[in-house]
This record gives sequence, structure tokens and C-alpha cells, in this order.
Amino acid sequence: MSIIKSVMFDEWRYWRRTKVATTVILIGIALALASVIVNSIEVRQASAERTELQRISEQTFFDQPDRHPHRMVHYGHYVFRTPSPLSIIEPGVDAFTGTAMFLEGHQQNTAMFSEQRQSSGLTRFSSLSPAFMLQVLVPLMLILVGYSCVTREREAGTLHVMITQGVKVRDILAGKFFSLAGSGMLMLAPLAIASLWAGVHGESLAITASFVLGYVVYILVWSAIVLWGSTISSRSNASFAILIALWVVLCILVPRIASTTAASLEPSPGKLETDFSVVEELRALGDGHNASDPAYEKLKQDLLSQYGVDDVADLPMNFRGVVLTYSEKKLTDVLNKYAEARMDEELSQAEIARQFGWLSPMVSMRTFSMMIAGTNLENHHRFLREAEDLRFDFVQALNHAHEHDLDYHTDINRYVNDDTAKAARVDASHWQVLSSFDFAPESAQFRLSHSLRYALQLLLWAGLMLALIKRASRGVM
Amino acid sequence: MLFADFYREMRFLSKQRYIVLFLSAVFALSAFAVWSGLHETKLQQATIERLLEKDSVDRENVLAGQGDYGSAAYYSFHVTYSEPSSLAFAAMGQRDTFPWKHRIRMLALEGQIYETDAENPELSLFGRFDFAFIVSVLLPIFVILLLHDLRSGEKEAGRYDLLVASAKKQHKLWLSRALVITTGLALAMLVPLLVGAAITQAPLAKTVAMVLITLAHLLFWVVVTVIAGRMMLARGQNSPRIASALLGVWLLATVIVPVVSDTLINQSITGPNGGEVVLTQREAVNGAWDQPYSVTWDEFLKTHPEWADYTDMESSFDWKWYYGFQQAGDQHAAELSKAYRDTIVRKDVAAGKASLMSPAMLTQRLMSSLASTDISASLAYEQDVRDFHASLRQFYYPLLFKGGEFELEQLADMPLYQQRLSN
Repeated sequence: MSIIKSVMFDEWRYWRRTKVATTVILIGIALALASVIVNSIEVRQASAERTELQRISEQTFFDQPDRHPHRMVHYGHYVFRTPSPLSIIEPGVDAFTGTAMFLEGHQQNTAMFSEQRQSSGLTRFSSLSPAFMLQVLVPLMLILVGYSCVTREREAGTLHVMITQGVKVRDILAGKFFSLAGSGMLMLAPLAIASLWAGVHGESLAITASFVLGYVVYILVWSAIVLWGSTISSRSNASFAILIALWVVLCILVPRIASTTAASLEPSPGKLETDFSVVEELRALGDGHNASDPAYEKLKQDLLSQYGVDDVADLPMNFRGVVLTYSEKKLTDVLNKYAEARMDEELSQAEIARQFGWLSPMVSMRTFSMMIAGTNLENHHRFLREAEDLRFDFVQALNHAHEHDLDYHTDINRYVNDDTAKAARVDASHWQVLSSFDFAPESAQFRLSHSLRYALQLLLWAGLMLALIKRASRGVM
Repeated sequence: MLFADFYREMRFLSKQRYIVLFLSAVFALSAFAVWSGLHETKLQQATIERLLEKDSVDRENVLAGQGDYGSAAYYSFHVTYSEPSSLAFAAMGQRDTFPWKHRIRMLALEGQIYETDAENPELSLFGRFDFAFIVSVLLPIFVILLLHDLRSGEKEAGRYDLLVASAKKQHKLWLSRALVITTGLALAMLVPLLVGAAITQAPLAKTVAMVLITLAHLLFWVVVTVIAGRMMLARGQNSPRIASALLGVWLLATVIVPVVSDTLINQSITGPNGGEVVLTQREAVNGAWDQPYSVTWDEFLKTHPEWADYTDMESSFDWKWYYGFQQAGDQHAAELSKAYRDTIVRKDVAAGKASLMSPAMLTQRLMSSLASTDISASLAYEQDVRDFHASLRQFYYPLLFKGGEFELEQLADMPLYQQRLSN
């Protein structure tokens, strides 16, 4: 143990003496710290802004005057997605998905105003997120610090001396490994502190702990890769070239090749195109605004016979409201069918890209990190689904008011003159049916269980590196 | 004489397995990027074709079932699109985040135009692997890996003094070696691009410009690397130290400068939130139902005085009033909407200035501008959509205001969307 420790301290002393490593580590810490601070401020600003917009949007809905209930269905409602607590570290897809959505009767809209669309367009490769720093830049820093950790000793002949003096190769490598991992942990520190901060802001302990743990494993994997590259090379030049090439492949190439492959293998037709099929199916359902549409003949006959009357005007409820409720339900079923199919498509595209985690620890780390932070595709879909539930609920509640609180005769005569138009209104208290929208990421349990596979990918990388180093250690002499 | 040196170095380097392998890998990457770009372009074109076909069938069906012009306008949609340019395969730019297809109808435009049929966000996050990415982000790393030890590598191998002593003019030796490697790298990257450009029949001038940008960025990094290598070697630094320093420069140019400028730009250039635009528009459009008709007409007639004598209504609902307040709603939000777009333009201009400090960003921006996949191209597309929407209104207003029986033939002259952007 003491030998491992002294190898580790020797390495650190060497870093201090040469200054290069110290500079790199300091830059790494500064970048991580800056990104955590700037990102936290931006996320908190966005969060406050959207919470406020959400409040205003709800208040405006409640404040609407007495109206015809169906007017409120078209007046609609806006919902805003508030960021999850851990998005101060891992913003994930948040910048690329819309943050606001308009909810109205008879259709599902898309999420609008993604941050990327309102940005300078400079950050398509890099971003200031701590996640990018940790996943892409820290490995580079580790390489710059440690590429020569073994080759240097070999070139100077000290490795030979140590081994002939009876120091175990395993102990030397362990010492070097811990010295590297230690510097990685320093760069991880700002992230760990920010995770605690997220914990204070309502993220569960299990989530923050596994989040930080995931990054610890990732840093260990990269420390091991650097150690391995240095162990198998005879000279520092070679280990440097090998490690940089590995970094380019694992951190830059594979992720992009993953997304390009996914988009090529599983092209998605997009919402616009499926909308045509939706419209075709909807047309068969009839237009809910037109109660005399033949599509509602059966509904009409059923109701007439149920209440034993001959004319819809004699029904105890407003038939137009009945038709709207009925058609909204049918229509929503169709819309949801296509929406779900589209989400499945997106998910299977993402699944293809995520499989590249077997080829690059960076991809598995990123997927794991987004899953745990609740900023991945699944979470965006959750936003879409929750917004849809809210939409359907308030539209149907308004249709219910239309059905039961608005007289049929008053309703059909609403366009005769201004007085009849005024009569065909319901009291503004009906607008209270809108429930508040408070978006939160998936439950901790869901996120943990769904990230198991990516945790496994990471652990597999750790195992692979361990095996590779073990093999390399046999050939050290 | 130089040619002889060049030839000698070429023969020497072609026997270096490491260099040959490296250049083959670069060629493979460039080929993959170009292939996937072409594939994506083809998919987008096919999508547009299918959309147009479905669109016209759908509209014909809808129109045939209508009984008045108001419903005809209400129920018929129009597909608009922005076709990928012939060089889009090389630089997909912002086409995955800014929409290039849109379906609109004659309702208030501000309520529709922000709808986004975006790509899968998780794939957008990872980013695409296109030719522009290779040149702007990876090329410097290639150059650094290949050329940082031009001299120091020989020194460390113990051949330096011998080489310097035996070469008649030593700078010629390094020059020709650097030239051979640079030429190899340029060919490995550019051959796939040229094949791609030939396939899409891209205009010669733009293709040449694309090649020149690549060469300029390549030359920049070759010069930086060779000079840094020479200077640092003179100070006794070894190859990895030289490369580390160069990677630091790369990090500065590719990550730090863009990220810092982006943060500064976002903090200093602010405008209305997109949410405000749509909320304003909605209040204006929906408020019309509760307000006297004169409010709508006053606003509408400000821009369309020619219909001042046609605003009488027979019942409390008339389609012309309905479209009148849609127009009025857009007018209410016009200023905000303009400010919203101006903010994007101002940010883009600022980003253009910032990119002068980062060769990587400059390369990327120039390439996507050539390929018409940058922010200004997508704003131009949005303007096309706005103009088309305005022409729809110009077409329908006479039919709505002058009254008259519904005749399907009248709709035959309905304007069709046409992409103005040329490539």
C-alpha cells in the first residue's frame, strides 16, 4: 500500500515540477467551475421565467369574461416546460426541444421556441454545459496530464530500476492510476457540488448519488485508458499519438457517427407527413362543429331512443355539446395513436444511437447522464404526453359545460343578433376547470431503472480497461 | 528541383505505414460524411415531393366539399418547404433545428409560423457528422497529429542532425515533407466532396469556394503547426509538449471562443421571448369575439382601406369579419414578431463577428452560408412563407368581401407556394 502511495505522490511531485500538468488541471477545474456557475444561473433564469409565464397563462385563462364555452376551447392554453433540477449540469436535449406549447381543441400542436433556435448558432459542437466539459474535455485533460506516466519512467530507465529492486508492476501501475484518477476527481468536484445543490432543490438523494457515481466511474475509465495507452507504448511520442487518436474517435467521432447512422437507418417521416394520414382518418370521424354531420347519425338515434324523444331539441342536454364531447374523444384517440407512433419512432432512432455506447464510453456516459438527470428524449415525450392530458381534460370539461350548462335553443340561435350572442354564454366560473401544469421529470425510480443498461455499458468499459491493463502489465518489462 | 524533393518525400512517406493508414482513415471519414449528407439530402427531397403530392390531393378533396369561400380557406392547408441546396450535403448547418417544411392556412400567421416539425432532438444534440464538421473541427487535429513532430520527431529518432547535414538547403527538406503530407490530407478530404458535388451537380463557383475554404483552413493550421513546432523545438520542447500546446490552441478556437461568445451574445442581445409573440397574437385574435365589430374593422382597414365599403354584415358571424380579425391579430403582434426575428438576426451578425476569432467557427459559417443552410437562409425561408401567406390573403379577400355564390372554378387561380431561394 505504501508503495502505491509513494508512486502516486512521486507522480504528483513530477507534475508540480514540470508545471504543464498543473496548468492543465487548473484549466480543467476553472472550466468545470465556470460552466457550472454560468449554467446554473442560466437554468435558474429560464426556470423563473417559465414558471412566471405559466402562472400568467393560467391567470389569463381564469380571467376570461363570460363566453360561449366553445370559444374557450379555441382560446386555448399555453404550457411551459420548466427545467429539471439536474439540468444545471446536464441540459441534455432541453436546448433542442421546444419550451412552450399551445393547447387547443381539435388538434395537437408541436412544442415551439427551442433555445437552439434563438441562440447564436455557435454552440453546435461545444457547449458550456458541465456535462460537455466532463464528458469530452476532461478525458482530453487526463491524456495531456498522464500520457507519459509510464513511458517517461521507461525512457529514463527508472522503471527498470524499480522493478529490479522488487517493486511489483501492479503497485506501480496502481500508483499511477490513482494519481491520474485523483486529478480527474479534482475536475469533478464542481459537478459534485452542483449535484448537492440540485439535491437541495428537490432532486432525490438516490438520483444525485448515482449521477455523481456515474461520472466517477467515467473518470476512472478514462484514467485507465490513459494508463493503458502509456503502458503499452515504448515511447511518450507513441503513447501521446495513440491516446489523442483514441480520444478523437471515442469522444468526437463515435457520437456523431451514432446519430448520423441512426438517422440514415431509421428515417422518420416527421409530423407534417403523418398529419396527412391523421387528417384522412379524422375526416371519416366527421367535424364536431357540425352536429348534423352524417357521422353523428348513430349517436343521435341512440340518444333519441334512450330519452324517448323525436327531436334533438327535446333532449335534456345540449346535443351540440354531446357531439363535441364525442368527437373530441374520437379525434384524440386518433391523434394519440399517431403521436405515440411518432414517439416510438424517435425512441427507436435514439436506441440505435445509444447502442454506440458499447463502442464509446462517452456515449454511454452521456445517455446515462441524461437519463438520470431527466433531460433525455423520454422526458421530452413525457412533457408532450402530460401537456396532451391537460389539453384533453380542459377541452372535455368545457365541452361538458357546453352540454349541460348551455341551452340548445340559445346555442343554435347565437348568431341571430347581438342579444342572442350574449345569451349564448356561460359564466366565467366555468374556466376554473383548467388544472395547473407543473412539469416534473420522470420519477426517480423510473429514471434509475431505465438507466441500468447504460450503467452496465459503463461498467463493462471499466471491466474491459481492467483486463487490458492487466494484460499490458505482463509485458511491461 | 522542388518537384524532385517533393517526389522523394512522397516515396519516403508512402512507405510510412502510420501516415498511409492515417490518410486512409481521413478519406474514409470524409467519404462517410459525404455519403450520409447525400443520403440525408435525398431523403429531404423525397419528403418534399411526397408532401407536395399529398398536399395537392388533399386540398382538392377539401375544396370540392366546401360551400363557401370562408370554409374553403379555413379547411385548406398549404405545404411550404425549403429544398436542400446542391451543396447542403456538405454542410447540413441549421437544417435540423430550424424547420424546412411547414403547413399553413389562412388563419393568423403568427399563431402558426412557430410550429416546428423538428428532427429528433436527441440526434440533434449529438450533432451530424457532415463534411463541414470534418473540416472545421477535426482538420486541425489531423494537422497537429501529422505535422507537430515534423522536426522534433526526427530529432528524437536521432536522425535530425544527419538530415540537416546531408540536405543542401534544409528548409527545403521540411517544406517538401510538409507539402506532401498536406497535399495527401487535402486530397483525402476533398476527393469525396468533389464526387458528391459532381453527383448533385453543384455550381462550379460554389464548389470551388468550398474547396478554397477547406484549403485556407488547412493552410492556416499547417503554418501554425510548423511554426510552433520549430519555435518550441528551438526551446528544447519534445513532440508531445508541442502537440499539447497546439491542442490548447485548438481548444481555444473550437470550444472556448465559441462558448464564451455565445454566452456574451445571449446576455447582451435580448429581445422578446417567443412566448410573448404568440400570447399577444392570441389575445388579439380571441378578444375580437368579445369586442364590437368596429374594433376589428378599424384595425383591418388601416392596411386594407380598399374594403372600407364592404364591412356590412348580415348576421353576427361572417367569414370576412373572421378573417378580418385574423389579419388584425397579426397586425397587433407584428411589432413584437419583427423584434423577435430582429433579435435572431442581431445574434447571427454578432456571431459572425465573433467567428473571426475562431477559424473553426468561421469555416463552419462560411460553409453553411455557401450551402444555404445557415440562419439567414432559414430566415429567408420564413420570409417566403410570410409572403406566400400574404398572397393567399390577397387572393381570398376579394372573394370574401365581394360576396357572390361559391364557385369552385374561382379557386383555380389560387397562389401556389414557390421557393424563391435559388442555388
